[in-house]
Amino acid sequence: MNLQVDVQEKDCVHVFRIVGEIDAFTAPTLKERLDQVADQPQCQAVLDFSEVDYMDSTGLGVFVAFYKRVKAVDGSVKIVGLNKRLKRLFEITGLDDIVEIEMESRDVNGTV
Amino acid sequence: MAQDVGKQYEELLKKYVENEDETNLYAAQQVSRKFIEKKISPEEVISYHKTSVEEIFPDLSARIGPSYDFLIEVMIHYGLALMEHQSLIRKQEALQIEMDVAVKVQDMLLETSIPQVEGLDIGVVSKPAKKMSGDYVYFIEQGNREACVAVADVMGKGLPAALCMSMIKFGMDSLRSQATEPQHVLGVINQIVEKSMDDSMFISMYYGKYDGSTCTFTFGSAGHEPALLYRAAEDRFVELDAKGLLLGIRKEVGFEEKSVVLEKGDFIVMLTDGVTEGRNSDGFIDEEVILDMLRQVKEQPAQQIVDYLYTELFKMQNYMLHDDFTLVLFKKE
Amino acid sequence: MDNRSSVEIFTEWDIVAARQLGRNEAKTTGFGTVDQARITTAISELARNIYLYAGKGKIEIERLSTNGMNGITIIASDEGPGIPDLRKVMEDGFSTSGGLGAGMPGVKRLMDDFKVESEVGKGTTITATKWLR
Repeated sequence: MNLQVDVQEKDCVHVFRIVGEIDAFTAPTLKERLDQVADQPQCQAVLDFSEVDYMDSTGLGVFVAFYKRVKAVDGSVKIVGLNKRLKRLFEITGLDDIVEIEMESRDVNGTV
Repeated sequence: MAQDVGKQYEELLKKYVENEDETNLYAAQQVSRKFIEKKISPEEVISYHKTSVEEIFPDLSARIGPSYDFLIEVMIHYGLALMEHQSLIRKQEALQIEMDVAVKVQDMLLETSIPQVEGLDIGVVSKPAKKMSGDYVYFIEQGNREACVAVADVMGKGLPAALCMSMIKFGMDSLRSQATEPQHVLGVINQIVEKSMDDSMFISMYYGKYDGSTCTFTFGSAGHEPALLYRAAEDRFVELDAKGLLLGIRKEVGFEEKSVVLEKGDFIVMLTDGVTEGRNSDGFIDEEVILDMLRQVKEQPAQQIVDYLYTELFKMQNYMLHDDFTLVLFKKE
Repeated sequence: MDNRSSVEIFTEWDIVAARQLGRNEAKTTGFGTVDQARITTAISELARNIYLYAGKGKIEIERLSTNGMNGITIIASDEGPGIPDLRKVMEDGFSTSGGLGAGMPGVKRLMDDFKVESEVGKGTTITATKWLR
């Protein structure tokens, strides 16, 4: 299974559009892309999951590591476009309490 | 010794070029086995062939001799590749032995005995996907009145997960006598794990305590899959979820604590995502399927229920475990 | 000593010259075809490493005769970057996986004795010997 990650920078916000399944095989690709911005001071990141059907614990690990690094540089992470399954994953893990989650992915693209 | 096999090779080749008989080819196969046994390299075999040809066809040797030298040169690297391969296999064997020892150490760490509490029937099954497990089950018994259980899932599988798990084990051991209130237990383990874990690792953990005197089950969750409660009187399942963040992400975390009272025939299933995220060829195994299976065997003893569920789900996944699989069942008698 | 001769390595052609020298010396010492090929391959690998990683260096070939034993020694020296992690380059699967060739473990296997001396920033000297049996 392939994973595609497109990054766009808009008004100092890095928007990651992730397409595919995030598992043990594809998670390194995501990690590599996130690593590129993680340590920038006050890094602002938006992760768009609208086209992600599935994410396993390895994927969650990549996200958690990214979240910790961004917090360390006083940055912020926002998540958009979670499907039902992924929303449940973020709820169960309690991550929905510490990360801003927006249910509509259209907002970030400014095409409301 | 090497000369002997060389001579043998020459005689065999001589016979074969005379009558092209299958028997000689069969014998050649045996010789090749002997070559490998005696660790004779490919380039040496070609050198035997060259010498043999020179003996059998003396008049040809001047013309074709250099072509064998050429081949020998080419084969040197094959010989090296073969030796490297053999050395890597030996290395792998050594690693295997280390791994087996590690598995034994883990088994010792994982050792826990099922509490004996009046009116409570407990069943447990925990199977690793690889040799070492990232799932962890730990029971604590207080008198024969109280049974506590921790079900944890360390992110990832195998060795790294197993190493991480030892932290929970020692955390739980240090708590022992105070290890009863879910909030407290999860908070303490989080402190331990947060300090000493890699950024990309995390642990989810479900902690429950059953008090036999009040038939109350009190529970808390650190980012773990909710447990399922089967209500016998209503024949329905209820999710036992409690808010709480995964362990190892933040220093200060609050954990919600809830409780339910169990009636006769009720049971609670605590599990890891290896159970709920099982995959078959058509995709994920639906939760409904799991609930239906539980219903079918609900009258049986706790251990038989979990064993049945494991066997059925294992079959559905074509006899393969993709993730560590753990089920703990508390049944009110 | 006239039983010691050398080739400077600057270009890929010099690798061929080093091979030729090594083969002639091995033949003179009395090695058979297979061992000649092994010694030459070892020289080739060492010379190639000099060419690829140090840019320039030297291959010396010495014929040995001690206590009735005859043999040949290859000394490959350069003033290149040196090897930071010796243990790693001596590990199987390290250089070969990148398709770089037989690598150091390969040279060690082709010869009887093998010694590396390397200092980061100063250079590397590899000495490898094969004895005639």
